[in-house]
Amino acid sequence: MLALSTLAFLLIVITAMVILIFRDWRINTAALALQYLAVFYLVTLSWPIGLAIVKLIVGWMATAAIGLTCLRQMEEDTPTESTSSLFFRALAGLMIILVMFVISSTLQERVFPNVDLVIIRSGLMMVGMALMQLGTNASPYLTIMSLLSFMAGFELIHAALERSTLLTGLMASVNLGLALVGVYFIMKSTDRDESQKEEEEK
Amino acid sequence: MTLSTPILWVFLPLFISLITGIFYRSRILGIILTCTTSFGLSALAAFFPEDMVISIGPLTLAFVENLGILGRQIIISYQILPFIAFIYFSTGVWAAGSVRLSVPESFRPTSLVVTALLTAALGVEPFLYAALFIEGAILFSIPMLSPLLSKTHPGILRFLSLQTLALPFILLAGWLLSGVETLPPDSPLIVQTMIILGLGIGLWLAVFPFHSWVPMVTEKAHPLPVSFVLFIFPTFITLFSLNFLDRYTFLRTSQGLYQSLRSIGTLMIVLGGLWTAYQDDIKRAFGFSALTETGFLLLVIGLADQGGLSLLLMLFPAHAVSFFLWGFTLSLFETREDSHSIKALHGFALRYPIISSGLLIAQLSVAGLPLFATFPIKIALFSDAFAINSALGAWIFVGSLGLFFFTIRLLINLVTPNTEQAITSWVLTEKSSVYLPILLIILAMIIMGLFPHAILTNITTILTAFGQLQ
Repeated sequence: MLALSTLAFLLIVITAMVILIFRDWRINTAALALQYLAVFYLVTLSWPIGLAIVKLIVGWMATAAIGLTCLRQMEEDTPTESTSSLFFRALAGLMIILVMFVISSTLQERVFPNVDLVIIRSGLMMVGMALMQLGTNASPYLTIMSLLSFMAGFELIHAALERSTLLTGLMASVNLGLALVGVYFIMKSTDRDESQKEEEEK
Repeated sequence: MTLSTPILWVFLPLFISLITGIFYRSRILGIILTCTTSFGLSALAAFFPEDMVISIGPLTLAFVENLGILGRQIIISYQILPFIAFIYFSTGVWAAGSVRLSVPESFRPTSLVVTALLTAALGVEPFLYAALFIEGAILFSIPMLSPLLSKTHPGILRFLSLQTLALPFILLAGWLLSGVETLPPDSPLIVQTMIILGLGIGLWLAVFPFHSWVPMVTEKAHPLPVSFVLFIFPTFITLFSLNFLDRYTFLRTSQGLYQSLRSIGTLMIVLGGLWTAYQDDIKRAFGFSALTETGFLLLVIGLADQGGLSLLLMLFPAHAVSFFLWGFTLSLFETREDSHSIKALHGFALRYPIISSGLLIAQLSVAGLPLFATFPIKIALFSDAFAINSALGAWIFVGSLGLFFFTIRLLINLVTPNTEQAITSWVLTEKSSVYLPILLIILAMIIMGLFPHAILTNITTILTAFGQLQ
């Protein structure tokens, strides 16, 4: 059990770092899907599997919606990035990991005494990385990915605090709504580019 | 036959907006359905019988005020109906205002969804679940602020991000609040809870420093949907926030909380006013003025002991008419001028005097000029603020001057003849379909300003829904 929890935590850290560092939608979509898998396992520590699986299904549906839209709409070639920008984001990610490690024990001691430390750490890692991502980019696709990751991190901690069927349903709606907004943003940016190109050709 | 009030004021508009959304290309159908539903629901709420029984010939409809969903409830009580009437009426006015303008087609269905979801948020039990309905309303407001064929600007992404970040804070505050009620008042957990709750509400209300999306969105989006969003969200969220004061004694009795609200409100008024004063873009100025008005909303809650809550409720209709006129006239400006810069508007008032007057009056009404809608409320607010602390009153006065200053700058630019254009004298070129709505709204603002007790005080009866705050 402990080994699996640690594995889930490591998976969350790695996938959160991947989403923060890389800009290729294929890599990020795969990372987000894996992140939801890890979140699902950690939620099962607090909730029955029947309810926890809602998080996994909803997460994967949201990821699939964004991934499939990217597959259809985005250009094949991903713009190459300089090593220094990758290095900068990796460094920022490492700093987030460090900060979250430091504050998670204090947070458990003072605010969430009944919540497992691995759950708090995992949730905070996702929240921290997502906030860093939100603060450093203005791309619709990455913004939605970050918001989904942020919500997953929060839901992980909140699941250990409260169990409610209605709340789970409403959170699922919010996650799917965010994914749909993401699809809308990706589609409209591409549609607009295409219509602009057509006008220029005319 | 027994029905429940949430079916009428939440699910029916959702259903109608679904139909309007399906036929969104049919403009006339959209306008008719949205206006009929909004005004109809508003009239029903305004004249709903207290015994909640409506008899139409042989048919008797008995209403209950709650609807159970998965063990939770949505309650729309009789006491809250004046507010529901007002909010649906406002939605109808905005939908009607979109008749002549090139408003995004998604505006009408989504405005109805937003209103319905926010109404549900007001009545959901446990009330902290409201955060999820509000998030739903935020997601639905995206298409009206950023239509399909427009570029996704960073402001809309920031709006979505910051508003979504509020959700976890509110839910977490809800969990913390359930545990702190029994704690002693000096417990550090109480302060932590208040901070988390404050962060959530601050993010929703775009309180400084979470305000950056407001001018960005007002600059890029269509003014009419923007004015709707800037009116409806702060209105609902401040009313929703009263639930916290009503239910938790430690919040209601905390003088520190009221002091903080007054300070944050004053900061918003001063910063918003100063930013507005030196703006060159008429659309961005609207955004900064909206921030100032959010500051006033916070300030009046901070003055709750001096009767601020009645002033808060009276501000809602005054904001509605002023924001609508502001958004409506800005839309008309936008269709007639390519640039939003006040320097590019030389001579505009000579060609379009009614539209220009409408915009200037909307700004002056928001600023609190005598005769107009917000004046009676703001003068009472100034008196209360000065009575508490003269420095507080002075700062509010300074902040309020910002919009006056901007309006004077705008007026000078609007009436300065444009040397590149042939028109150098006043010409009335607007059609009656353009100037009649403007004149009607100005008349409504003047009536509100002259007879505040007859018009604005009706809405204060909804304070009876908050048992501890009356």
